Amino acid sequence: MAVTVLIVDDHPSFRATARLLLEVEGYDVVGEARDGAEAIELAERLRPDLVLLDVSLPDIDGFEVAARLTERANGASAGGPAVILTSSRDPSDFGPLVQESGARGFIPKAELSGATLAALLG
Amino acid sequence: MRPRRLLWAIGVAGVLLGTAVAVLIAVSDIVDDHASNIMAALLIGGSFLGIGLYAWGTRPRNRIGPLMVAVGFAWMLGMLQCSDLALPFTIGLLMSPSAFAIVLHLLLAYPTGRLGSGAARAVVALGYVDVIAGSLAYAMLARNPDGIENAPRNLLLVEDAPGAADAVLTAVTVLGLVAIVSGALLLVARWRAASTPRRRTLAPLLWTGALLLAFAAVMLAADIAGSEDLEDGFSVFSVFLLTAAPYAYLAGLMSSGWARGRTMGDLVSGLNAADARPGVRDALAEALGDPTLAVAFKRHDRDEWVDADGRRIELPADRAVTEISRDGELIGALVHGRALADDPVLRRAVADTAALALENERLQAELRARVAELQESRANIISFGLAERRRLERDLHDGAQQRLVALSLQVNLARAKIDDDPATAAALLDTARDELAQALDELRELARGIHPAILTDQGLGPAVSALAERSPVPVEIGPLPDQRLPSPVEAAAYFVVSEALANVAKYAGATHATVRVAREDDRAVVEVVDDGVGGADPAQGTGLRGLAERVAALDGRLEIVSPTGCGTVVRADLPCASS
Repeated sequence: MAVTVLIVDDHPSFRATARLLLEVEGYDVVGEARDGAEAIELAERLRPDLVLLDVSLPDIDGFEVAARLTERANGASAGGPAVILTSSRDPSDFGPLVQESGARGFIPKAELSGATLAALLG
Repeated sequence: MRPRRLLWAIGVAGVLLGTAVAVLIAVSDIVDDHASNIMAALLIGGSFLGIGLYAWGTRPRNRIGPLMVAVGFAWMLGMLQCSDLALPFTIGLLMSPSAFAIVLHLLLAYPTGRLGSGAARAVVALGYVDVIAGSLAYAMLARNPDGIENAPRNLLLVEDAPGAADAVLTAVTVLGLVAIVSGALLLVARWRAASTPRRRTLAPLLWTGALLLAFAAVMLAADIAGSEDLEDGFSVFSVFLLTAAPYAYLAGLMSSGWARGRTMGDLVSGLNAADARPGVRDALAEALGDPTLAVAFKRHDRDEWVDADGRRIELPADRAVTEISRDGELIGALVHGRALADDPVLRRAVADTAALALENERLQAELRARVAELQESRANIISFGLAERRRLERDLHDGAQQRLVALSLQVNLARAKIDDDPATAAALLDTARDELAQALDELRELARGIHPAILTDQGLGPAVSALAERSPVPVEIGPLPDQRLPSPVEAAAYFVVSEALANVAKYAGATHATVRVAREDDRAVVEVVDDGVGGADPAQGTGLRGLAERVAALDGRLEIVSPTGCGTVVRADLPCASS
């Protein structure tokens, strides 16, 4: 069965392109969220395997969203989503934040592909 | 009646009264020594009258002159009690003590003519009530007032009651003593509180007056004690002092010129010695004897007062302010106590003398104010610059960078599809091309916001025309300068127009706007006027605040007039040295 994905980004052009790219690579994009609050709500409802999460969101910061999603996962028996952070900025711009957020990893937006995702998901 | 004429009329009336009194005393049977009584009437009365008229003429708004004239008249009328005719005798009987009450008033009101305190007013009122009510009551009860033998008929006599008359006399004397002693104490207090130049003015009359009151007090005390010898002895002195009082005042009038001279001398030497900063203020405070004196400077580039350190201040409403001008321009003000305000001549002289020294200090104060403003403006420019950089980073990140990311992904995807699914790959490349075009547009817009190339290359006119063409609201372009302005001025003018037109499009709801840039001497005036809803508040939008900073950095001024419902005028006044 295909891996289900929730894409979280406030830029519609990125969401559209990422959806296209991931679907071509065989992923099942089950939803798109525009900000942190919507991301948490949709993750709860859709239970995706993977959340592709932009760092810069208009409401809650992406690291905070990641922490909440993975925290919930640790407590639950069913297991939460794997969170992968993404940004058009370089990962070195964020220092230790990626590490501390509970996310599985970080992919620069321009390098997004099925292969990079698969590498992080292991 | 014109003041001069009034004085002449009073003078003539005084001479007529003096003549009448002299004649009445000369023909009177009830006095032994006609000559010395006539002398006393004319010397004391005439001195007060003459010098009073002189004082009245030189200082018309000061009440000392009229008070002295009143003493002169009261004294001469009082001397009528030497007459052996019933009517003049009765008038004299009533009036003889009143001169003393007016003298008390005069001393306490000296030198301004006003009674400064409630205590002084109470003492003077007591004096008047005492002499008026007392002499009326006494005249109604005494057939032979003051024990004068063969006195003429007392027209006011109601009933001859020597016992009651004596009691009234004692009461009048005691109350008079109270008034005199209280008045003397007030004079002493006044002397102690007076500033140095003030003492110079107060001295002559105050000392004469204090002695006069002292003798009068001793006389009244002797009267109560019934010591005739003491009374007679002291009355000679008090007549002498009473004669001296108007001359002491005259000396005071003369010496206030001399005191002014001393004050001015002190001031000039103080100013010459004052090379350090607090110098001028201290020299003024010392010369004028007013330690609370403060100096305020008028800025010449704006309507604002500053202190010597360049800090903005307001002139206090509760203190006297003397404005100082130089070559017709208001340069500063002395803020001082009311005492100095009483001598307008000295005030003027001080202001004129201090003007040169203050002009120098004013330049320094203004320089300090400018430095403080520049420091503030520099801090504002730095924070404005930082905010601008944050905005640019945000714009780049949200705009072109996002598009380029998407573009990169689309190209990757198209590359992956190009063999298996050429149609999808072609569609992806079409999208990528649109994305690229939009990214270029956004970069162009951003670059224009940083510094428009057309402004650098073509100047303000074409750059403003380009702004007008891009504006969604129709813009009419008024006159623009035909020569290039200094580039910082051009840039500021451009951004004023750009920001103002952006606001017109976003908020004004206007149908039409006008842009005008005029070169006026060494300034450029930029004006953007719209017919929209008005109500723009520069404190609200960061755009207008940023503009104000940009304009202030060039030492210019941004003005926004935006009454609700009446459109908005954005006007920038930019100094530009000739380019």
